[in-house]
Amino acid sequence: MRKVRVSSAPSTAHADDPTFALPSDGPVPAGHLVVQGPIGPPGSDGKRPIEVVVDGWRFVLVVEDDARAALRERATRSGDDVGRGGGALEIRAIIPGRVASVAVTPGDTVEAGQTLLAVEAMKMQNELRAPRGGTVSRVAASPGATVEVGDVLVVLE
Amino acid sequence: MTGIDAAPGVSLRKDTRIPPFRRILIANRGEIALRIIRTCRDLGVEVVAVYSDADAGAAHVSAADAAVRLGEAPAGESYLRADRIIDAALATGADAIHPGYGFLSERASFARAVVEAGLVFIGPPADAIDALGDKLAARRTAAAADVPVVPGTFDPAPVDRADAIGDIAAAAEGIGFPLLVKAAAGGGGRGMRRVETGLELPAALTAASSEARAAFGDGAVYLEREVRPARHIEVQLLGDAYGDVVALGERDCSVQRRHQKLVEETPAPGLTADERRALHAMAVRAARAAGLSNASTAEFLFDRHRRFWFLEVNARLQVEHGVTELVTDLDLVAEQLWIAAGRPLSDRAREAAARALAPTRHAIEVRLAAEDPSREFAPAPGRVGTWAMPSGPGVRVDTAIRPGDRVPPDYDPMIAKVMAVAGARREAIAVLRRALDEIEVTGIQTTLPFDRALVRDEQFLGDDGEELSTDWVAEHWDGRADRRRALDVAAAAAAHSGIAHKPSLRKDDRPNWPWRTAGLAAAIDRWPR
Repeated sequence: MRKVRVSSAPSTAHADDPTFALPSDGPVPAGHLVVQGPIGPPGSDGKRPIEVVVDGWRFVLVVEDDARAALRERATRSGDDVGRGGGALEIRAIIPGRVASVAVTPGDTVEAGQTLLAVEAMKMQNELRAPRGGTVSRVAASPGATVEVGDVLVVLE
Repeated sequence: MTGIDAAPGVSLRKDTRIPPFRRILIANRGEIALRIIRTCRDLGVEVVAVYSDADAGAAHVSAADAAVRLGEAPAGESYLRADRIIDAALATGADAIHPGYGFLSERASFARAVVEAGLVFIGPPADAIDALGDKLAARRTAAAADVPVVPGTFDPAPVDRADAIGDIAAAAEGIGFPLLVKAAAGGGGRGMRRVETGLELPAALTAASSEARAAFGDGAVYLEREVRPARHIEVQLLGDAYGDVVALGERDCSVQRRHQKLVEETPAPGLTADERRALHAMAVRAARAAGLSNASTAEFLFDRHRRFWFLEVNARLQVEHGVTELVTDLDLVAEQLWIAAGRPLSDRAREAAARALAPTRHAIEVRLAAEDPSREFAPAPGRVGTWAMPSGPGVRVDTAIRPGDRVPPDYDPMIAKVMAVAGARREAIAVLRRALDEIEVTGIQTTLPFDRALVRDEQFLGDDGEELSTDWVAEHWDGRADRRRALDVAAAAAAHSGIAHKPSLRKDDRPNWPWRTAGLAAAIDRWPR
């Protein structure tokens, strides 16, 4: 079976939702589940927003092909490997698109999880965050620039 | 008045083959506009709709014979523009204006202007609206008619006057704490403050008065004892232009949130025959004293000592009039039109009033609103996707929403009333439970989770009504927890949908869903990590 991953879309109003747990075993009560299906075409990053209504609660969830997600992780991890080897960490584009904004400049000190820049594709913004703390040694992208998967965007020391 | 040529000797008033009016304008929108249009169709009355830019393609516009644009989306530029509405009625040759509820329905100045323009206002006379719109005047009228009013003051309280602090403090002590500071022009909980001790009184008077002035243009406030816990029970009244008034049963509207009704049912559970008879008689006395005619509603509090306290009169058709129609078999809008056209109270209405003293049927309604019940019922406007409403025996749905319609952010978030009727309360709730389970709405968040939880609550199901109170929501339901539970199921369903690659997967496909299997369990990952 093909694997997928599910995340809540940034458009949902609840930032405090817990990560997903498996549903308990047992039947779904009749009439309580509506899956509307994709509410838009898949993004160029392979993610698809799907609307699901459970017991009247409406969710917009993003479904992503697991293989694609793994590829994306490797794109980040390869930079991570480089980082471990040579002391520098290259942050690479994980989706093709247009650089929407750049939040750091060379010399900035960043913490793990801090937003570095955002790449926009199909009107969806995808933020790239620092996988670890460090100092920005190079910013290879500027707002408006078109990037391809694997392009180096930011280098952390 | 009707503009119809009648054969000599035929009374326009008594011949039901001739409509009460030739053409009326409906000064409202949404479900109530559509509901009134339907009765007009049944009676052969032509309909003129009005609309704002937000409602240009709305259901009530397409259902009407003619429609007139009022202005931009904000109500102040459209549905509250009395001048434009009256101009529209005159330009389209309407004989009368039905105000619906909300908007201009209880503005005496509007009712007066309609009459001065040579049109008929379908509602109580302007003077009666005036007298009852001021809650202080209503309290005095009711008290004079020997109707028990909630203990409190009968004149505007002095605000920001150091010299009068002593008097108002003494009045407050006499009423007892906790008490409420309420706006004379108020409604919906605005201009209201709860006061627990005399020390809080001056600040509460100032705050309530300024809020009332901002909301209603009138800063007059008064004191009233807080009757709590209490049930909110109201009586549907219908009167003609000749002073005859009948009570068409009562409705229990105790399930509220911040003074907004969420559930309404009739008859009120657990009342004895004597209590019911006394309640109806009090409401009729108050209405007669106020000079009310047409449709109106007298609201009472019912306390734990089984005493009724008069609260106020709403001089218009209520949102929840449909449950009364379900148990009485009356069309209240049709009765309104005939009364406005000068007919005396119908035999149907008189018979229904007699039957209402010994109810044999029960109806209950919940309101479906575009609100998020996990976030304090915050407004959730947007574009509706799927819109599937229930039907079948004992079910009535009043709505003006169609699939793909936009719920504008400019107006009330109520988008549908779902009603059920049966021989008794438990059966009616069972029908309502089934009806709510048939509902499918996508695109916007609604109050459906709350509505479904309510009709399953053991205490709400209690037949004696003891568990009903205006505090019900706060005491009984945790929307955030309910939403978290649903999210787990949603994630699993989304994951399966992603695997299946189906463009649309609906509940009809459910038997084939393997989403509980181990294979799928492995497919659901945690993200972001």
